[in-house]
Amino acid sequence: MQWGMLIMCRKQRAAIFAVVILVLVAFAAAETTRKEMHFKVGRRASVSIVNAYGPISVKPGPGKRVVVTAILYSAKVEVDQSSRGHRVSVFSHLLDGATPDTGRVDYEVLVPADANVTLHSTTGPLHVEKLHSDMILEGSGAVVEVRDVSSGHIQIKTLNGPVTLTNVSDGHVDITSVSGDVALNMVNGSVVHVNSSSGKIHYDGDFGDAGDYSLTTHSGDIEAIAPAYASIEVVARSVQGRVENDFPLQPEHTSFVARAGSAFAGTMGEAASSVKLLSFSGKIHLKKH
Amino acid sequence: MTCEEFERVLPELGDGHTTEQEAHLKSCSACSDLVADLNAISQQARLLQGSEEPSPWVWNSIEVALQQEGLIRQPHLARSQPPAPLLGWKLRWLVPAAAMFLVAFGVLMFQRGTGQPPVAEQQTPPVGVETAGLQPMAGDDLQLLKTVGERMPSMRAEYEANLRSVNAYIRDAEESADSDPNDEVAQQYLRNAYEQKAMVYEMALDRSLP
Amino acid sequence: MTDAKKQQSNKLSEAEAIERAKLGDAEAFEALYNLHKRRVYSLCLRMTANTAAAEDLTQEAFLQLFRKIGTFRGESAFSTWLHRMSVNVVLMQLRKKGLPVVAIEDTMETEEDAPRKELGADDARLAGSVDRMQLQRSIAALPPGYRMIFLLHDVEGYEHNEIAEMVGCSIGNSKSQLHKARMKLREILKTSRAEKAAKP
Repeated sequence: MQWGMLIMCRKQRAAIFAVVILVLVAFAAAETTRKEMHFKVGRRASVSIVNAYGPISVKPGPGKRVVVTAILYSAKVEVDQSSRGHRVSVFSHLLDGATPDTGRVDYEVLVPADANVTLHSTTGPLHVEKLHSDMILEGSGAVVEVRDVSSGHIQIKTLNGPVTLTNVSDGHVDITSVSGDVALNMVNGSVVHVNSSSGKIHYDGDFGDAGDYSLTTHSGDIEAIAPAYASIEVVARSVQGRVENDFPLQPEHTSFVARAGSAFAGTMGEAASSVKLLSFSGKIHLKKH
Repeated sequence: MTCEEFERVLPELGDGHTTEQEAHLKSCSACSDLVADLNAISQQARLLQGSEEPSPWVWNSIEVALQQEGLIRQPHLARSQPPAPLLGWKLRWLVPAAAMFLVAFGVLMFQRGTGQPPVAEQQTPPVGVETAGLQPMAGDDLQLLKTVGERMPSMRAEYEANLRSVNAYIRDAEESADSDPNDEVAQQYLRNAYEQKAMVYEMALDRSLP
Repeated sequence: MTDAKKQQSNKLSEAEAIERAKLGDAEAFEALYNLHKRRVYSLCLRMTANTAAAEDLTQEAFLQLFRKIGTFRGESAFSTWLHRMSVNVVLMQLRKKGLPVVAIEDTMETEEDAPRKELGADDARLAGSVDRMQLQRSIAALPPGYRMIFLLHDVEGYEHNEIAEMVGCSIGNSKSQLHKARMKLREILKTSRAEKAAKP
């Protein structure tokens, strides 16, 4: 009898426990809200998303429409929107008492492939892919990733958020990051400028498009990997760090003073592109593929 | 017509040539090569028009200046956010400070170009609390950190670390540029360092984010 | 849309932006800036051969434009008005720095500056193979006076009478300086090509 009563109690306890769990899950689910916004736009639309906390992902979508899907994590944040002509603006509006967790909104955005995009977020991450347009991506700690983009002006600013660009062609790229590492894989364009203070810069590509490439840091290391067929006029200098070069460069008549171990300059091929690798105290290595 | 006579009139020639000049060009390969070369240079030059793009930093500076001068009467839509409820009014002075910082950078670059003493040397020496082993921070930087601490306390340490990194960059770059004012690479370091600092201020003052 | 209609539509957009800018519309200012930034910046960059200086001058040119936009009455094309302003901003800056805007007297040229006259020399032709990047570098290597006239005429398309008025020289001098600039560029380009060809 006692044993039977014990089993009954256990079953009851399990049932109560399950109900409590269900209630908690339902409660948590009720806190997140999904919101979907649709905008009709024309050619070269301009889309701006401002989101304090949470990821923003932008991909191309069908037709001349912008579709914004937002998941709000609590009632402490609202999503406001406005649109005028080709300009669409969506922003997360924090209410009193919002924290990085309760103020979080996750955005997924579909835009026409030629739409210009501006994304601001403190935490990010920010992700853009498969557009051929201009973009401005800013976030102090946001991880930024851009891939498969062409024919656009890409401006990225972070404090310590790492930045990765992959397969960017015919671009004008301007990246400033204080301490975030920057990785450029197959990135070509008329201008590719990276300005870092203590972050590392890694470039893997052929410095093509007869462009102006400038990778500069204060104390971060710079590693540039290029193929033997790269056509570049290169200048590399580290005031206090070491520089290494795997390529046989042709000397060039220039006022730049080459110093073994801390500076080198020269050309390869037709010297179509201009490449500057400058670090104050970081190491610089121009490597062969 | 001799080659010397032809070259004397070459600056005056537009698209047309006289019969005599045409005849000379047909008979003289050196002069016809010269004319072909000069035309090729001129034609290629036309393709350079409007081929460069300024950094977005330029528009940011213009926009700040236009706001300062009251020429913009409708704020830009994407940034027309209500200021942070408790602290918005305290931020007003920081916008002109950031604008002045950017202008000071521009003046600094020109003064270095003309050999005049840099603006940085004319500023009042930094005032601030010295953290053990670290350089003291200037008043503006401390004020910025104080405001960041009030607006977003979790970000204060990050901003301080980044400001110190950028200030170290500026110090090294200034030293490098001072030791050789004609060194273009040193000028580039300095410019990059100031760009970084302007960016840190801009991010900290961005009213669209907490 | 045909090209003519596109141009028409763009002109209307610029006109609309100008009117809205006069009322202080931020988007209108930005639209005007985006329409003309490349030409103004390219001009400043080539004239100064310095990115930082070019950006500051671009900023100054647009600020002057926007301050005066209320006075624009449409007697000339907006782009012409802006461009003239940009050239003046650059010229003023060069004069402030004491740099020569244009070499007025032929006799003031040094041996180094004057292009060598190589009549009858059996040099390789350039025609049809002027590399754009090479040309950009060569322009930056020109003496400032030659560079100014070359940029204004061959790159920006000003006529000699306009150049003479802007820089304060005679039409004859403008033509002469342009010719010398082109000759100097030819020399720089050929030297560079010969050096590359001579390398093993």
